[in-house]
Amino acid sequence: MKIHTQLCGIMAAGCVIGGTLIPCAAAVTDDEFNALKKMVQQLGEKVQKLEQTHDQDQQQIQRLKEQLGETQKTATEAQQKAEAVEQVQATKPMPGEGNATHNFTMVGDAEIQFGKVDGQHSGFGLADFAPIFLFRARDNVLFEAGFDIKLQNGTVPLMNDANGNAVNGNSGTTTTFDMSFAQLDYLFNNYVTFVGGDMLLPLGTYTERSAGWINKIPDDPLPRSVLPSSGLGIQLRGGIPVGDSGQSISYSAYCVNGPSSVDGSGNAITYDSGTNKIPNLDLGGNVGFDSNGNSIGNLHGAPSGGGRLGWFYPLKPHYDLELGISGQSGTWDNNGNELWTAGVADGALHVSPYLEVKGEYIYSWQETTDMGTVHPRGWWVQGSYKLAGLNTELPLMNNVELALRYDTVHDGIGTKVDRWTVGYVYYFSNTLLFEGDYEFLNSNDPAQNHNRLVFQVGYGF
Amino acid sequence: MKRFSSLKPQLRAGVGLAVIAGAIYAGSLALVTGADTTADKEAKTKKAAQSETKTAKKPAKKQLTGAELYAVNCNRCHPERYPTEFTAAQWKTIMLEMRVRANLPADQAKAILKYLQEDSGTP
Repeated sequence: MKIHTQLCGIMAAGCVIGGTLIPCAAAVTDDEFNALKKMVQQLGEKVQKLEQTHDQDQQQIQRLKEQLGETQKTATEAQQKAEAVEQVQATKPMPGEGNATHNFTMVGDAEIQFGKVDGQHSGFGLADFAPIFLFRARDNVLFEAGFDIKLQNGTVPLMNDANGNAVNGNSGTTTTFDMSFAQLDYLFNNYVTFVGGDMLLPLGTYTERSAGWINKIPDDPLPRSVLPSSGLGIQLRGGIPVGDSGQSISYSAYCVNGPSSVDGSGNAITYDSGTNKIPNLDLGGNVGFDSNGNSIGNLHGAPSGGGRLGWFYPLKPHYDLELGISGQSGTWDNNGNELWTAGVADGALHVSPYLEVKGEYIYSWQETTDMGTVHPRGWWVQGSYKLAGLNTELPLMNNVELALRYDTVHDGIGTKVDRWTVGYVYYFSNTLLFEGDYEFLNSNDPAQNHNRLVFQVGYGF
Repeated sequence: MKRFSSLKPQLRAGVGLAVIAGAIYAGSLALVTGADTTADKEAKTKKAAQSETKTAKKPAKKQLTGAELYAVNCNRCHPERYPTEFTAAQWKTIMLEMRVRANLPADQAKAILKYLQEDSGTP
């Protein structure tokens, strides 16, 4: 509009100038004519430029109109999509799972053992592969499962031996595949973690903190047989810092199916197929369903409850003390009448990077229908020293750690075993090690009264 | 006490577990929400002002680094694992497991993870 007005003005000015100049044309000199001619040319050029600008403005206005149309179209489509999503979704949608941060990692250990038991031939006694699969679904969700894959002699059930007793014979090899644990960890916040599944139980610290490449001695302390190693259930646990020195209080509280009875009764003793006496308490058998597929909830209906409270006090790195107390209680027979209770006191001390002392005291109360309350119990203490602490320049010495352990167990129904173990660990690296030890056993059960020599190669990955 | 022992074992176990779970939940809530209360904030401000005055007189207590926390917490159970043995993503997963397994306090576990990831191996 503005451009048109300017054009009209210029044309009007031209007419006026022209009209004014015509009457006096006769009196116009060449110079004046040329000046006027030049002025008219300049005006013409100006008009041309203005026309070009006008055209460009028109084009820009057209483009803007097109863009506006597209924006309006996009907005309309977005609104339509949002309306469609609203129709599909529930009125109160669940919170999302966030970004994809998952990761799968495998850790674990592997061992090979060679042993010699008094009165028996020597041989390779164990080939064990124990992977732990870790799947981190989110920053606060972890699935973990540990397995034990072992190779051992095969067994063939024989009808009778020469004396008419039912026995097993040997044939080939058998590979056993055991699930040590399989659990879901959900970290609620800095202080509470929920754990569910087949969990390693925090009765003492040995079960949760042992592996072939971590233990200084190849086999477990004897009194650990008094306790279950894992249980099916749920747990709340966490650690609470105390000050800035690294000190902390830790807790665990859980509910599991608990132990069961081998024959279903509350008797202290039962018999296997070979008519041998065996303890009737089954610490690991109550996993919820019969193996024959019967849809029963449990072998007994009463869960067990338990927990651990620990205190960790570090003076400085490699100088620390940890103390803990833990326990579990619940019924164990099929009728749910007899109570089994266990208590554990544990401790660990580190004095320098070289010296470690740790141990556990375990006591249990098992109510029975035929023998009253029996008390399976025991304790163990283990000390180890890395020779690197002596600062000798002797070859290989810095890679050697000496270990000494005493453990004892009483099954509560008459059998007692004491054991001294002396051994060493040679570290090829931080995760590859060679262990050798000799075990002096003393028992009132002749079948267990045999000393042993054990060598083991272990690797942690 | 006598009345308690006369209850069925199932009920005793259930009640005991409920009490423990309730206590833990209440304690956790107190720890988490306690930090946000106004009264607490005021008290903290006062304490901070007091501690600033004190720290001017004596040197501040040193906070443990991730490497020191690693030496404090990890070596007590197993031989040292070097940061280069796993990638940063693997360390994140492994530390999540260790935090649960060893009941490590969250801040300590995070500091250890940071130390391990800084020098972690490459895939």
